[in-house]
Amino acid sequence: MRKHLGSRKTRSVLTLLILAIGLSIVVSACGSSNKSSTTSGGGGGGGGSSTTSQAADVTKCGTKPGVKATGTPIKLGAIVTKQPGTDFTDGATMADAYFHCVNDNGGINGHPIKYKWYEEQTNPAQIAGFAHKLIQTDKVVGIVGGFSIIECSVDHKYWESLGIYELDAGIAPECWGTSNSAPPNMGPRYSSDGAVQGVVRAGAKKIAFDQSNVPGTGYIVAGPQSVAKALNVPITTFKDNVPIQDANSIALKLVQAAGSDGGVVLNFTPPEALKILQAAQQQNLQDRVKAWACSTPCNTDFVAKALGTQWDGKLLVNAELNVTDNNGPQTRLYRAVFDKYGSKVSGGLGSFSQMGFVMAQQTVMALESIKGNTYDIKTVNTAIKNLKGFKTDMLCKPWYYGQAPLHIPNNTDYTTTPNHGKMVIKDGCIPINAADPGIAKVRSIEQKDPSLSQPGTTVPGA
Amino acid sequence: MPSWEDFKPFIITGLALGGVYSLSGVGMVVLYRATGVLNLAFGAVGAMGALIAWQLINHNGWSEGPAFLVCVLFGGAVTLLYGLVFGPPLSSRDPLIKATATLGLTLVLLGVMDLIWSDKARSMILPTSNNGFQVSDVFVNYTEVIALAFGIGVMLVTAIFLRFTKTGTAMRALANDREITATLGVPVRRVEAAAWLGCGLLSGAAGLLLSNLVGLDAVTLTFLVISSLAATLIGRLRSITVTFIAAIVIGLVNALVTPILSISQYRDMTPFVLATIALLVLSGRRGSALSGRAG
Repeated sequence: MRKHLGSRKTRSVLTLLILAIGLSIVVSACGSSNKSSTTSGGGGGGGGSSTTSQAADVTKCGTKPGVKATGTPIKLGAIVTKQPGTDFTDGATMADAYFHCVNDNGGINGHPIKYKWYEEQTNPAQIAGFAHKLIQTDKVVGIVGGFSIIECSVDHKYWESLGIYELDAGIAPECWGTSNSAPPNMGPRYSSDGAVQGVVRAGAKKIAFDQSNVPGTGYIVAGPQSVAKALNVPITTFKDNVPIQDANSIALKLVQAAGSDGGVVLNFTPPEALKILQAAQQQNLQDRVKAWACSTPCNTDFVAKALGTQWDGKLLVNAELNVTDNNGPQTRLYRAVFDKYGSKVSGGLGSFSQMGFVMAQQTVMALESIKGNTYDIKTVNTAIKNLKGFKTDMLCKPWYYGQAPLHIPNNTDYTTTPNHGKMVIKDGCIPINAADPGIAKVRSIEQKDPSLSQPGTTVPGA
Repeated sequence: MPSWEDFKPFIITGLALGGVYSLSGVGMVVLYRATGVLNLAFGAVGAMGALIAWQLINHNGWSEGPAFLVCVLFGGAVTLLYGLVFGPPLSSRDPLIKATATLGLTLVLLGVMDLIWSDKARSMILPTSNNGFQVSDVFVNYTEVIALAFGIGVMLVTAIFLRFTKTGTAMRALANDREITATLGVPVRRVEAAAWLGCGLLSGAAGLLLSNLVGLDAVTLTFLVISSLAATLIGRLRSITVTFIAAIVIGLVNALVTPILSISQYRDMTPFVLATIALLVLSGRRGSALSGRAG
């Protein structure tokens, strides 16, 4: 009798265990809830602290220093990925910080920018819903500062149908391969191309390439494969689920695949890349290959600090944007805005927040070019589309939008490396290899219309 | 198929990971046996303890030893507090409700961690990770050794504790029948509190080791408990020894599958696949035994 009761109890416990495990997975997959954030005119939060102490003048954000904008708000929106293992909110929060700064210094012809973004979890229906909500409910007139894994794929036709020219950063091929999307960065594919070029320059004769197992991996890996082929270097590719739970095994796998004369290239968000690099360090694997490299996300001082000095000069990061402590006027303003308005930028100074800052500056530049006082979908997006020759010290060469079937205006990159807790420039601007078909096409577009990438517009700096 | 030489390093990483899974598994089994509660907050408590230690070291100037101690004590304190507050009112409820309540604690802690520390990259390297020794051409650091040794130690000490101490005997009695045990004069609340405290201390220690072996990331550490749950499932929430062995096997298989490229990306399924196989085998054996007895 007791045995019978025991097995019945066991059965019920096992049932609840399976339920609990299932529920845990659901909770894990959901991560943070759909969250939106809004900015109204006026001051942003204080706080945040940059790694540099050089003071800069945040009043340079706007045309009327110290005068708060009080006119009718210009509503802008974005969609951003935030889920376990992938947090892209730094782009939107930094754009938000810059808009706060602009609003505190005259706004756009007296109009404050009201910025709203939604956080998604790689769910197409959810993303499409947010896109319609931004236009129909929130009445935004521009989509800027978005940073998503699949948003470009899901929404690009909708934006095209409305005549919206999106300023975004992302992962999906449509971010760079369609007419109505132009990012300030080159994205994981072309940045990974640059990282592959980096390890080959360091002498690697074989490459192990690993990336997070998220939608779009096939598109991304095609770039490094084409570049490696052009450079006559064999490449083995992997993808691993995030969040990574067994970094030690992954680091071992990659080192084995690369071999002693090879190089390892990682394409992960900073926390995930850090897990693999630290696992390599703890197993004394960092010197077992010729070189380690990362795509852009590793270009953050948090990674450099967390890694410690053992990786100084050993990790090559393809940086789509300049280092955060360079002394150019736009980067000084970026740091100043981060210090005063960037308390919500959880990742600190780094490539994600730099992209948000650049997109915000591009947006403001476009808005300021509008003649008259009408800020609707048509005027705002025409102004965004007409942007060209946008020169900032954060990018290797002037950025442009223009009318084109694809947009990869950032196609020349820096290479950085950790040095005593900071990322420093190792190699200056190096063009991404045109063996990648997308890069070849965009170089052809630039050759046909050289004015696109000629320096032309003065960007605010401090 | 990789060669034996390729597999060797993965044995080390698998054993270390399995050792820490076993810590979590043993802690959960002991608590379940004493209180009937399946503690799904085990990972979240450990994760938060590790993040607090990181905060104390990097932002408050604490030295590592006291910060690590705070991590372990935080695990004990939070789990004990939860047990004292929610244990008695939930004691007569269904196991599913008790487990779901701990999921509530998990979500609260996850929210707090997200609010305070966000997702940015950070690390906490234990001093023992900087040193180690070579086994053939494989480098073994002392954290990996500690993880496995600690897992074995906890299993042995817990088994001895449950069998030979008064409190351990009381815990086993509680597992059989809470009401009868209470009528025999066993201080039920005190015994349950001891189980909550022990489970919490183990969660803190596991969080500390896993933050080093896996990474200091709230979500990852919180849901690593799933691998341990699979081990406790194989141990049928009763056997500490089987739970320990299952945890080691899960860690090992998970690691050893990594270099086999054709199935490498599916290795996260290891805990569930092994748990399912074990349950099917155990159910089959029980069915055979019962039919044999009937015959």
